[in-house]
Amino acid sequence: MMSETVPKLRTCLLAIRKFSTAPPKVPVESRQLAFPPKYQKPRQVWLENFDTIEEKKLGIIDLHPEIFAANPRIDIIQENVRWQSLYRYVSYAHTKSRFEVRGGGRKPWPQKGLGRARHGSIRSPLFRGGGVIHGPKSPTPHFYMLPYYSRVHGLTSTLSVKLAQDDLHIIMNLEIPTDEPNFIEELVRSRNWGPSVLFVDDVDIMPRNITAATDKIKHFNLMPVYGLNVYSMLKHDTLVLTRAAVDLLELKLLTSLHKNDVKPCAEKFKLNQV
Amino acid sequence: MGSNTTEKALSMLRFLPRVCLSNIRPHPNSRIRDKRGRGQHGGDKHGCGNKGSGQRQNYMRLGYETGNNPFYLRFPHEPYYQRHHLRREYPPVSLLQLLKFIELNRIDHTKPIDLVSVVNTGLYKLLPDQRQYGIQLTDEGADVFNLKINIEVQYATEVVIAAIEKAGGVITTAYYDQHSLQCMLNTKKFFERGVPIPKRMMPPPDAIEYYSDPAKRGYLADPDKISEERLVLAQKYGYSLPEIEKDPSYDMLTERKDPRQIFYGLHPGWVVNLRDKAILKPQDEELLKYYAN
Repeated sequence: MMSETVPKLRTCLLAIRKFSTAPPKVPVESRQLAFPPKYQKPRQVWLENFDTIEEKKLGIIDLHPEIFAANPRIDIIQENVRWQSLYRYVSYAHTKSRFEVRGGGRKPWPQKGLGRARHGSIRSPLFRGGGVIHGPKSPTPHFYMLPYYSRVHGLTSTLSVKLAQDDLHIIMNLEIPTDEPNFIEELVRSRNWGPSVLFVDDVDIMPRNITAATDKIKHFNLMPVYGLNVYSMLKHDTLVLTRAAVDLLELKLLTSLHKNDVKPCAEKFKLNQV
Repeated sequence: MGSNTTEKALSMLRFLPRVCLSNIRPHPNSRIRDKRGRGQHGGDKHGCGNKGSGQRQNYMRLGYETGNNPFYLRFPHEPYYQRHHLRREYPPVSLLQLLKFIELNRIDHTKPIDLVSVVNTGLYKLLPDQRQYGIQLTDEGADVFNLKINIEVQYATEVVIAAIEKAGGVITTAYYDQHSLQCMLNTKKFFERGVPIPKRMMPPPDAIEYYSDPAKRGYLADPDKISEERLVLAQKYGYSLPEIEKDPSYDMLTERKDPRQIFYGLHPGWVVNLRDKAILKPQDEELLKYYAN
């Protein structure tokens, strides 16, 4: 029986070898983590190409677990999204108080003798058409600063969520062969990268072709690392980072997580302190 | 591997719908409902109750006891805590903490250590506004201390001095006045002001004795007497005094600041220009005489 199965296994293995994808011809250097984690294993992702529509895997990249495998705190993500929407919001709603409503300077009728209630002004809040007490006053800012670590953990949680849900892709750089929008659309469609994609590079000056191609398409957006934020990452279905962006992002986030002089960062936003 | 919760959560996310703006929620019960001053619960008397000083916003002063002699006026002057608000404080740093700082590369022990090095770790805070005058080195970790360092603190007990000298190091106690302390706490901010480095003032009358005492390794004491005291302490605590003269880092260990000097390598009167990376020194005779005093 063994004599029959072993040749069968051999032919099976040969077939697998014939039909499997060939190993990458240009070996891409594996990424050395600048600050290797002590007690956790790094997460691994494919490094994909961006110059052809067809997906080609160029190698495997290590990602730091403290950033890409952090606790996915949905409540911190929600806090960040709320903060991002609200800190710039200014409410322009305005109601007139009794002093702002037109008229009402004269005592409407004498204090005594008429049998009517006593009043000093026809624009007091008791009156129809009178002023509003404690109503909204324009402009009312809703600025507040989310604590430093809430913002840092918001970023790490969102990146971890993106990686865990297979919505994170790493590419070498943003160079594409043509500036036709069709190229990017076809690429995204064929690779199942989700309707909206956020491309993140380390610098804010992007190659010409990708800028021209994605200019008219509103759901493909380019962003430098310094603009990365929780709201944008959630709004776009897929997040695509360049290798340089990953290096810079890891450096910045690890520094933010481990620095010991966080107090000065918060001091400039202290409001209403006696 | 990461903690169990994180691993579990991340593996759950693989099978849950995509996290997006429409399916995130705050932590349960974290949002407190705004109390609007309208309607049944926030309106009517707006939380002020009925009549009385509460509703009429006409409160009695704090401590008032509706006419009888109040507690805060009952007792005559009790001078137990007289001048307590003027006493100097020295927030402690233990020898163990110091050892940890050095071993974790927060402090470089191949250079002289002073208040500036310890404050720059970011883990020790000094507040001169609250009458805090510097570091007090405590003896926790005296039995494990084994590093040769040149350290300058503001207060140290005999045990601490013995521990440091047994390891082959040098300890000095020095005084810094409040103005100098403010310069030392945030050196970058101080240099950005562009003012000349001030000269350190002498200790107040009740501290001069301490800082002139060789047994306390005071910076105003006679260096010869300090060497004698080193021997005395070695005999008292029963260790052989290491010979610093033969040590290769002798120069580093014996580096000491002038009584008027605040920073190592910088003299009072100099102006440090961070942007052009230059130091400006006074040339005028009167100024030189003032700063050299």
